[in-house]
Amino acid sequence: MNTSLKKSVFVSIAGLSLAGSAAGCAPGQATGTPGTSAAPSAAAGSASYKDGTYSADGNYVSPNGTETVGVTLTLAGGSVSDVQITQHPSNPNTRKFQGEFAGGIQSQIVGRNLNEIKVSKVAGSSLTSGGFNQAVEKIKSEAGA
Amino acid sequence: MPHPGWTDFSFDGIGTRWDISTPSPLSGALRRRLLDAVADYDAAWSRFRPDSVIAAAARQPGRYTLPPGASDLGQLYATLYRLSGGAMTPLIGGSLEQLGYDAGYSLRPGGPPLPAPAWDEVLDWQGTVLTTRAPVVIDVGAAGKGQLADLLSAALRDGGVSEHVIDASGDLVNTGSVPVQVGLEHPYDPARAIGIVSLGAGAICASAANRRAWGDGLHHVLDGTTGAPVRTVVASWAMAANAMTADALATALFFVDGFRLQQEFDCSWLTVHSDGHAEYSADFEGVLFS
Repeated sequence: MNTSLKKSVFVSIAGLSLAGSAAGCAPGQATGTPGTSAAPSAAAGSASYKDGTYSADGNYVSPNGTETVGVTLTLAGGSVSDVQITQHPSNPNTRKFQGEFAGGIQSQIVGRNLNEIKVSKVAGSSLTSGGFNQAVEKIKSEAGA
Repeated sequence: MPHPGWTDFSFDGIGTRWDISTPSPLSGALRRRLLDAVADYDAAWSRFRPDSVIAAAARQPGRYTLPPGASDLGQLYATLYRLSGGAMTPLIGGSLEQLGYDAGYSLRPGGPPLPAPAWDEVLDWQGTVLTTRAPVVIDVGAAGKGQLADLLSAALRDGGVSEHVIDASGDLVNTGSVPVQVGLEHPYDPARAIGIVSLGAGAICASAANRRAWGDGLHHVLDGTTGAPVRTVVASWAMAANAMTADALATALFFVDGFRLQQEFDCSWLTVHSDGHAEYSADFEGVLFS
């Protein structure tokens, strides 16, 4: 489902279907970075657009209803040179489907004692069975540890 | 217990501890069905017993039929084998034995790390039939526990228990309408967590280098191309719609960048590296303590 969403957003961008209220982005009138709030549609465009940055909200239908995603694209030399997508999901579940467009890095993990936090389960590597545990103990005692 | 008032059914299976929580106690018949499913899975896939299908394949080449789930498992492994450049492989059993994680738990390396054989040289996996050209030790531990959790979940659903939380010792399946708050175990200290994630309907699986470790840097997450333990990623978590996928992806994160995995799988993920930094997908935003 992730892949088809991404594809449908990219396909509508590739078709340069930023039609709708054309006032702000009529060919030949764009100055610098015109922005429009028209939603991309499937209309075929034969007009060429001036180089610059265009913004629009895209709609797609998720299992939770219609969602919007912000799209900013940059035209250079008449073709799309860059696309930026910003999330503004209206439903928490939708963040799952838009998740592949964002992520993060934290420079250092921080631990907190389990008895100080409120969780009902812990996810970690599996406890080992008796056989493995006994073997480890045996190794340790043989090593004189 | 994930929810107040629920009942737990606990047992040992496939070398680890299981805990199934349900709103009401399970019938004796359903409990037996679950334990039978665990026993059947072990009898097919365990490399720790001489009477399993896998043990037979380790003794001599031939044509071996595995349970119905082998079809999905094979396809998943094939994809991850490709994405990891052969680092993640079902043929890792020999490498594990070489380092000491053998059927007798000798925990003594028999020699330097041994790379796994190339898949297309020794193994033909079509659906549920495995045909081998040489004796090979197959180990599906990277995804098998998750698949078994899914099988148990299906058995519970078939038995009319649609709401349940399955805890396969840190790998979790939640089918209920209430999310479960899950602590992410600190890879170097089981008494601490590094964050809390909310598990809605779906599965979260974890992989880490800490527990199945037997000294001098030897742990059980091996790179199939070298036969040696991975040194960079130390812990990983993956969330997906089913546990087999989450389990496999948690292991895959030791070899493949999470954003790359997201291109082929609907998942969210978090990895902790040996220098203490963490990387994660959008759904893990805000999960880590800071």
